[in-house]
Amino acid sequence: MTVTVPTDRARSAAPVRWQPASARAQFAVLTGRSLRGLVADRRLVVLTLVQPLILLVIFSQVFGSMASPDHFPAGVSYIDYLMPAILVTSGITSAVGSGAELIRDMDNGVLTRFRSLPVGLHWILVARAVTDVLRTTAQTVLLLVCAALCFGFDPAGGAWGVIAALALSLLVIASLTWVFIAVGTWVRSARIMQSVSGLALFPLMFASSAYVPLDALPAWLRAVAVVNPVSYAVDATRALALDWPLGGDVLGAVATSLLILAVAVWAAVAGFRRPLTR
Amino acid sequence: MAEPMISTRDLTKSYDKVHALRGVSLDVAEGTVLGLLGHNGAGKTTLVNILATLLPPSGGSAAVAGHDVLRDSRAVRGCIGLTGQFASVDEKLSGFDNLVLIGRLLGASARQARERADELLDTFDLAGAARRLCRTYSGGMRRRLDLAASLVGRPRVIFLDEPSTGLDPASRLSLWETVEALVADGTTVLLTTQYLEEAERLADIVAVLAEGSVVAAGTPTELKSQVGERRAQLSTTRRGDTVKVAEALRRAGFAAVQTPEEGTVSVPVADFEDFAQVVRAVEEAAVPVTGLTLSEPSLDDVYLSLAAKPVAAAAR
Repeated sequence: MTVTVPTDRARSAAPVRWQPASARAQFAVLTGRSLRGLVADRRLVVLTLVQPLILLVIFSQVFGSMASPDHFPAGVSYIDYLMPAILVTSGITSAVGSGAELIRDMDNGVLTRFRSLPVGLHWILVARAVTDVLRTTAQTVLLLVCAALCFGFDPAGGAWGVIAALALSLLVIASLTWVFIAVGTWVRSARIMQSVSGLALFPLMFASSAYVPLDALPAWLRAVAVVNPVSYAVDATRALALDWPLGGDVLGAVATSLLILAVAVWAAVAGFRRPLTR
Repeated sequence: MAEPMISTRDLTKSYDKVHALRGVSLDVAEGTVLGLLGHNGAGKTTLVNILATLLPPSGGSAAVAGHDVLRDSRAVRGCIGLTGQFASVDEKLSGFDNLVLIGRLLGASARQARERADELLDTFDLAGAARRLCRTYSGGMRRRLDLAASLVGRPRVIFLDEPSTGLDPASRLSLWETVEALVADGTTVLLTTQYLEEAERLADIVAVLAEGSVVAAGTPTELKSQVGERRAQLSTTRRGDTVKVAEALRRAGFAAVQTPEEGTVSVPVADFEDFAQVVRAVEEAAVPVTGLTLSEPSLDDVYLSLAAKPVAAAAR
């Protein structure tokens, strides 16, 4: 059956309408929104910044005392060995949080509203990723300053080595951020996301060359650590910071990160295009 | 007739084995209100989500302002406003920032977006809370902000999915006034509701949705005449009085039905005039009446009467 509502009122006046926002404007506005969300709660800002510092204190004090000279490279202090790893691993937490934050936006309906607007869906994801990488940048810069001032972090690579290490670690974090955003767009459930993150977080961080040299690990764990992308990233970051011979480490880490990034962006956009049926 | 602002043809939507919509065809002319009446699960939200491009249909077609919801979804999004069942506001932003954000995403300059936000905050009585974070808002304030958010771009078509759910009576009334003002301005509205009263007040045409199909449609008056009547019920304390009241009402020309066991008499009343006559008749009979209630036909009555008259519904 067809329902027809008769026309009995004409539109009084055509009000002024705006031209659709440009891609750049959409990106800027959405990123601004995510950034404001990040700093909306002062308590959370402080906790976010403090968290990697706690990692630094714990690891340097707990593992530093145990670091057996047999396994560690000669002439490198544990803090110099540890810092490049913390640069990478502290960002992993933030990368995981990125997916959780996206799901929170889905659950509270904000994304439903955005989807009813003429907005490119991918910009919503890009804004989320850029915001979280910026957060990691702030965290790690603070971390580096504290390590240099309070813990005697003074790697052989000097300032440029550290800056290169920072840049590489941010690339790695960016690719992992997109991985967890992609997971978020597909699982769409805060609880499942939390479980996935919990499952992924510790193996990624610890089954790697981040805290102890690969030689110090049992054979089976070493096998896992060798294929863990975090190992690549940490090795390369460490080589840059400590001014070790680069070998293929940096190139390998950059190539791996870019590959993961490309696949994850594609998967995230594809996952996000599916309708949000609530 | 001019091209309809909302138009669907044989629209279907199925998930796995559930048929949420089973062939819905509607036309809504510009500047009018279609009230979509139905219980939970009737398919109202599914229909709104398809029209708002949030959900692709399984079959059939749908167009808003002449743009196909599948092929031209971006153009559709440029001219609609959506207020869903749940307030979708960003808790970490203030009310003002929420509205500015949407204005900016719709392409307004920073200044235009701020002006529009202030305007809407005034309209919705939120100016005092404009700079507060939304997570401190009450439920009613969120719903009002949500409605304001759907109006930022002065959309030509507005979808209101059960807009009065969770509103107190005063907020509901002001919502209705807002909708009336929008329609007076030429906006087209599709409103879903579970309340016959709301549909009657706002809609030009009411379509009743049940299990994914439109089972009846017409003006609220047409629909109500189909549904049955409004009845007045009088109660007395003594059984003998019931008879007297019923007789007095019959003399006044009413088809009074008495239920002596309960001490009540009930009569159909079409309008206020009838009601006044009922009161006069009882007064003249000088019998003590202890209670008088008026019952409006409800959505349940609509469903019941449609179930009772399947032929009539199919013939429409």
